[in-house]
Amino acid sequence: MSSPVNKAAGANWLTTTDHKQVALQFLWWTLGAFLLGAIYAVILRMRVTSALVDPALYRQMLTQHGILMVFLFLIPAIPSVLGNYMLPLQLGAGEFRLPWLTRLSLRLQILGTLALVLSISIKPVGAGWTFITPASLTGPGSFALLTTALALLAGSWLASGVNVIVTVHHGRRPGMGFFQMPVFAWSLYLTAFAQVIAGTLFGILVIYLAAARGSAAGPFGANADPLLWQGYFWLAVQPLAIFALLPAAGVITEVIAGVSRRPVVGYRTVVGSLIALLALGFCTFGVHLIGKGQSPALSFAFAALALVTAVPVALLTFSWLSTLYRGSVACAAPTTFVVAFLLCAGIGVMSGLMLCTLSTANYLANTVFATGHLHYIMMGGVMTAFLAGLHYWWPKMFGHMYSPLLGRLSGMTYMAGFNLAFLPQLIQGARGLPQGLATVPAGLRGTDLVATIGMWILTTGLVMIISNLFGALHDGEKAGENPWGATTGEWRSGAVGGDPYVP
Amino acid sequence: MIATATTSSWLPQAASTQSQGVDPAFYGVYVVGAFAVILVAGLAMTFVRQFPRKGENERGLGDARPNVKLQAAWVLAALGVAIYAFTAGLPGFLDANAAPWMSYRVLVATSQDGYKFTYPNGHIADTLHVAINRPVRLDATTADVIHTLHAPALRLNEPVLPGRTAQAWFNATTPGTYELRSAVYGGDRYQDMRTAVVAHNPADFDAWMIRVSDVFAGRTMEQAGELLYVTKGCKTCHSIDGSKLVGPSFKNVFGHQFDTREGVRITADEAYIKESILKPNVSVIAGFEPVMTPFEGKITDKEIAGLTAYLRTLSDLGGKPAGADSTTAKPAGKEVAAVAAPAAPATPHGGK
Repeated sequence: MSSPVNKAAGANWLTTTDHKQVALQFLWWTLGAFLLGAIYAVILRMRVTSALVDPALYRQMLTQHGILMVFLFLIPAIPSVLGNYMLPLQLGAGEFRLPWLTRLSLRLQILGTLALVLSISIKPVGAGWTFITPASLTGPGSFALLTTALALLAGSWLASGVNVIVTVHHGRRPGMGFFQMPVFAWSLYLTAFAQVIAGTLFGILVIYLAAARGSAAGPFGANADPLLWQGYFWLAVQPLAIFALLPAAGVITEVIAGVSRRPVVGYRTVVGSLIALLALGFCTFGVHLIGKGQSPALSFAFAALALVTAVPVALLTFSWLSTLYRGSVACAAPTTFVVAFLLCAGIGVMSGLMLCTLSTANYLANTVFATGHLHYIMMGGVMTAFLAGLHYWWPKMFGHMYSPLLGRLSGMTYMAGFNLAFLPQLIQGARGLPQGLATVPAGLRGTDLVATIGMWILTTGLVMIISNLFGALHDGEKAGENPWGATTGEWRSGAVGGDPYVP
Repeated sequence: MIATATTSSWLPQAASTQSQGVDPAFYGVYVVGAFAVILVAGLAMTFVRQFPRKGENERGLGDARPNVKLQAAWVLAALGVAIYAFTAGLPGFLDANAAPWMSYRVLVATSQDGYKFTYPNGHIADTLHVAINRPVRLDATTADVIHTLHAPALRLNEPVLPGRTAQAWFNATTPGTYELRSAVYGGDRYQDMRTAVVAHNPADFDAWMIRVSDVFAGRTMEQAGELLYVTKGCKTCHSIDGSKLVGPSFKNVFGHQFDTREGVRITADEAYIKESILKPNVSVIAGFEPVMTPFEGKITDKEIAGLTAYLRTLSDLGGKPAGADSTTAKPAGKEVAAVAAPAAPATPHGGK
């Protein structure tokens, strides 16, 4: 059960319910969405810099970039690829308890992706990925197909969430208590609640949005309070962002324990912090509405609540740093990505702090500062954690080890490029540049050029990462059963109970 | 034209008192946040170097208990940062939500076509002119989708939502021209959804306002009267198409004869119209209530003449105006026009 996928075993990729085969297929689909979204990102950036711009086309590309990256890549990537592969192994469950849901979630993801690609190829929607009403209720685009795609994706999250909850409750190895689950398994379990609740809500919302657009019916239709949509959207999407961040935190915890060969310091504190983050994720959607027309009293309350997030975030950081301290830290690619994560997600959290500070939140609302913050959290945080996890579990998933040196170099290139590409957004936003403009004013051309250079370095880093990982499948060294000397269930079958991080 | 930032700072050069609520909070949180990021990333890099794996089978410390005192200090520090951020941002936030008493009130109408600013005296313009050191309150509405009033140099960033009146205020401190635009996508013309705020010295602002708001400049008496019909509020109660509102329609009034409530037959000539504007409830036409606000002291003789000229154009008995040919403005009006016309797109202090 701990051997890599055996393709020779006559696996039928369309009908399989095997968690490993499903996870690998999710890898292709989410990576495909990422590459398409990345192509959009490159074009968007080039057009901003070259000022050869058709604003309507720019708007469509911006919308598709956002939808692809957020809903088809960042939200599902870690749970569907790393989670599907590792959870049954970490729990010693062998397989998900409801394998038909494993398969269903993949099929819905595929159908959703195809529907989205179809909507793009017929007529892309240009309403922005947050679909702010009433502007999104008019304007061209195959909206019905787009909402169908999003509803199908929400269904995929729901299916996978139910599956994870059931498997954690009923599929743990005998003798493994809740507090003997690895942290990554915990993070997936908590995320599943966000998937089930917020995913369902999101699916319903996009259907209502389509109704409002088609026939002015429903809560977002004619004469609706324009803030109602934004409130509901973030009520669903803020937990969904958490649903991307919690497993990211789980991956980072796992990788740090693995590469430093130390038990997670303050295991219960880490789990408690993840629970707190999940709870706060459901209560803090209103921070997205500060400076958007929300009543001052609500902005006050949401800002105060969101700042409480500092406590679980500090506890997590403390545990991560403590686990590195006096570890036996491997000089390896996952370590590089962990450091990149701490830097980038750190800047993401701190720019988020400025968006929760009431007066600066008002000032920065709708500027590219918020865009920069989003990229630091979602790409600097979630994407970097995903890459850390991929490098950590790659030998497990494919049985081959990539080049460790190229792994570290690509991680550093990625980190440098990422910061050069997105720090300028924070600066431009602070100067007052609004979101979604196809050209930048003359005074900001310098920072824009830096961002473009950063984007090419980032692209170079990503090409290095992908060629290193996939190149290893061809000519990589055979990896041992447990190259990191890690202790959790996926690395050693039939382990006894107790602390998952004690050998 | 548009004021740009000095390259050394994150925020643009401040041109309003609103910056007192935003800038210190921004830089304060920025310094604390940058320190925290450098601390965390720096510690991680230090530990990676300080505790490298030395042997194939080496393991790290097996004890998983955290240093509780250090952990408590770490969390308290983070909580301290959060509380600092909250308190630093609160005064500016509360201040931004309450315009000072007796602010200069400008109505802002936004739509996908752009911005329209209506000044207290009824003057309408598509750029916002203000005097420095005089709080300006903006009451903004939108005709279609969400737009915003986004002027970074003035630290102004107010969303305007359909069905609501948004209220924002600022107090400019430096004369100059600053960009004001929408920061929320509002359709295909979003890119060009922008205008400017021109901040003048108070004396220059008053002179500008007198110049541009002279309704007679560049207009015939009839055209001036047509504009006054809107800006003086006649339109609310008097139609021009013959339909009966609160007051009589202006269609076919001039030169016609009417009975008053007291049964006196009058002719709506220049003298009667003047009386009906200044003391409207003395001689009210039958069928209407004496409810109009007297305009005595609120309107000039010239404006009355303009309105009268406009009423002539609406009447089949309007004929030629009495006396001199007034199809062009009176001499006084001509002078104003001559002065105002070349200086119309006035930007007295230019950009910075």
